[in-house]
Amino acid sequence: MTKTRNLYLIPYAAWMLLFVATPIVLIVYNSFFDVEGNFTLDNFQKFLTPVYLRMTFNSFWYALLITVFSLLVAYPTAYWLTRTKHKQLWLLLIIVPSWINLLLKTYAFIGLFGTYGFVNAIFEWVGIGTQQILFTDFSFVFVSVYIFIPFMILPIYNALEELNPSLIYAARDLGASPWKTFRRVVFPLTLGGVKAGCQAVFIPALSLFMITRLIAGNRVVTLGTAIEQHFLVTQDWGMGSAIAVLLIIVMAVIMMLTGNRGARNSIR
Amino acid sequence: MTDKTIIRFDNVTQRYDRDTVLDNVSFEIERGKFYTLLGPSGCGKTTILRLIAGFIEPSEGHIYFKGKVINDVPADKRQVNTVFQDYALFPHLNVFENVAFGLRIKKLKNAVVTEKVKEALRFVNLNGYEDREISEMSGGQRQRVAIARAIVNEPEILLLDEPLSALDLKLRTEMQYELRELQRRLGITFIFVTHDQEEALAMSDEIFVLNKGEIQQSGTPTDIYDEPINRFVADFIGESNIVPGRMISDFLAEFAGKSFECVDQGFSPNEPVEIMIRPEDLEITTQEQGNLLIKVDSQLFRGVHYEISGYDEAGNEWLVHSTKKAVVGESIGLRFDPEAIHVMRFGETEEEFDRRLEAYSDHEDEAVGGGQGGGSTR
Amino acid sequence: MKKNSKLAQLYLVVVFLVLYAPILYLMYYSFNSAGTMHGFDGFTLEWYEEVFHDTRLLIIVLNTVVIALLSSAISTIVGVTGALAIQRVRKSRPRNSLLAMNNVLIVSPDVIIGASFLIFFTMIGIKLGFTSVLLSHIAFSIPIVVLMVLPKLQEMSPTLIDAAKDLGASGWGVLTKVVLPFLRPGIFTGFFMALTYSLDDFAVTFFVTGNGYSTLSVEIYSRARQGISPSINALSTLIFLFTITLVVGYYFLNRRGSRKPEWGVTQP
Repeated sequence: MTKTRNLYLIPYAAWMLLFVATPIVLIVYNSFFDVEGNFTLDNFQKFLTPVYLRMTFNSFWYALLITVFSLLVAYPTAYWLTRTKHKQLWLLLIIVPSWINLLLKTYAFIGLFGTYGFVNAIFEWVGIGTQQILFTDFSFVFVSVYIFIPFMILPIYNALEELNPSLIYAARDLGASPWKTFRRVVFPLTLGGVKAGCQAVFIPALSLFMITRLIAGNRVVTLGTAIEQHFLVTQDWGMGSAIAVLLIIVMAVIMMLTGNRGARNSIR
Repeated sequence: MTDKTIIRFDNVTQRYDRDTVLDNVSFEIERGKFYTLLGPSGCGKTTILRLIAGFIEPSEGHIYFKGKVINDVPADKRQVNTVFQDYALFPHLNVFENVAFGLRIKKLKNAVVTEKVKEALRFVNLNGYEDREISEMSGGQRQRVAIARAIVNEPEILLLDEPLSALDLKLRTEMQYELRELQRRLGITFIFVTHDQEEALAMSDEIFVLNKGEIQQSGTPTDIYDEPINRFVADFIGESNIVPGRMISDFLAEFAGKSFECVDQGFSPNEPVEIMIRPEDLEITTQEQGNLLIKVDSQLFRGVHYEISGYDEAGNEWLVHSTKKAVVGESIGLRFDPEAIHVMRFGETEEEFDRRLEAYSDHEDEAVGGGQGGGSTR
Repeated sequence: MKKNSKLAQLYLVVVFLVLYAPILYLMYYSFNSAGTMHGFDGFTLEWYEEVFHDTRLLIIVLNTVVIALLSSAISTIVGVTGALAIQRVRKSRPRNSLLAMNNVLIVSPDVIIGASFLIFFTMIGIKLGFTSVLLSHIAFSIPIVVLMVLPKLQEMSPTLIDAAKDLGASGWGVLTKVVLPFLRPGIFTGFFMALTYSLDDFAVTFFVTGNGYSTLSVEIYSRARQGISPSINALSTLIFLFTITLVVGYYFLNRRGSRKPEWGVTQP
């Protein structure tokens, strides 16, 4: 046993060292250097200026909005899904869109939300008149929620499926109304799924940059956009790394608070 | 004796981290017999099995197979096969391929494999099931596949790790007969692990009773049932009444405030002992005729008998199995023969115990001329 | 359990309509001769023709597929050994830290993975392009494979291995004849998930792709930034059909493997 154990561990450990440990170390290391390659703490100081603090606040605010709306839509969906006849098929139908390249889905919204797009056509028809939908906070949140919804539905669905149905009967038997049963029994017992779902949505939502660019048209600047900007446009890797390091710290804190289940891990 | 010995444990100790699961165990196992390792969970019985199979190596001591030390021979090189508690059938293979697994490893020719597998399946009454998936088999059938998979390799010893525990009562009883029959037909050594004393008594040639990593007693089922060495064995095998007592002199024991004639000897005068009487050896009679008086406390109908429980004047509880009914609350007399009284010495080792019993049978041979079978096989 | 009310059914239908609307919208306008995502002029297959004549796009599609297949194959091999390695670590502390390390890339936002890999590749002197993209995809797919294989491995009764040894199998025989066949469904799921993650990835690739090498997501992004491009619509229709085929194939694979299908989802 002992001999083979080491053998299995070699490729895996090598991968861990190269692609997990080293990049983290490098990004932390880089955050202490400015554009000219001098050691400095400026990057972190710059982060404390209103521009970046505002950006951080924005990121959290939008991530929170996206998470809350996703949860509000996803919970009832998951709940009613578990009570449909062909559960597996419905679930499959929920998942299929998530397998379409998200760039394509985002791209579709450029058409849907455009000045002459489908949504505005409907607005015209009901008499509201053409609105500017694209490049607004609304479109950003809506598209993000659209993208993230399956990741919220699945863990909740799984939690609901694991729930022993006799618990519901027991609650009803003990005199709880359907609503009370839901509030006192079903919801608390599926809280694990809700947490996992929130984690799976909140963390990626913090660092979105593709949707902000395509849908929000640079109106919304999040930490993700800033990192991308610093790395690929202004080439200020130090500042980009500093933001990334702070984001990592925040992420770690969130993971610890919500329990250490991996976000994507729980979506199966 | 040494000739027939196939497995010998010589002062084997097994430790996991700091827990000692087997403590200096020595015993011998002979060819062609049905052995049972009996004991509560955690007594070390499965550890012995795993040591024989070669899944673990002993921390101390030696294990001999046909006189050769096999401590570090790996499991795949031993002529021993196991039937696992959960059967451990390979879910990705069908019945045929499961049974053929060991033969394929040995790279036997296809025709030979087919023939041997068919024969093994016939042996366990599963012919015609070759192409079934394991998931399509019932618990009892899986059990047979597991047995077929083990015996097809023609092992010299078949190890069975609580193989019947997952079956329902009726099937279990049926399989007890079948396993016993199978062992006779194959003529190889079976080592059967169980915590079910009825199973052990019904099937075995020899039983090893284990507790806390030590062998408490070994012997034929009747030996162990009739002459348990100590309170643990008496309690674990069958039901028993155990009360504190005293050996006044040879053939005279005192308990429950009275003295009784018995057949035990070889104790120091007034030595404190434990007295054991089996519930079925107690007979209900009138108060006048009984050797002992008890007040009936409760009564349950068990089908073949009534189980009556009551207390004597000294406060000892007595359990009686009787076909006669008693009335709760009434006092009844209990009658028993001197042979029914079994005296257990505190802290006696198995060797001392055997020597004492042998002395009885010598005595019995002289006095009675024949006597009971107790302890004469060793 | 009680059946859903009319309201619940309506809700589910609306959710599904919204989920599928953008995809159907894209597909519908891929046949629009006007080349826009509004005002359907007439039916045409012109855009499909354009896709098949666009050599650059076809090469990019090929790149994407090659990267996906290669990276998921390699990550499956490393991931399976990783799972076997983790399974053999019996003590809970090193085991948990291995699992935590494994989850780092899964919970990290893509932007951070991309940025740190960019630093990493630049530092060790790997030219950005095919190699860097392939290595990154392998890197983020390995933990997914591990997570898909590990539960299956834990499900495997240890007596199965004992049984194989008992029947004469050596270490290698136990692995190839018992362990790997038993893990097959998990390995398939892992491979498949790795494939979809790779096909779907945008952010990480965007960071490490460099000039002159592109995958589909990156290409769609750059085209979409310039506005509506009907060939993307045509392409997305093709991708959708391809995805559906994959899903159906996977569904039946899973059906055969186990009675209860597990659905994998990819994360943006």
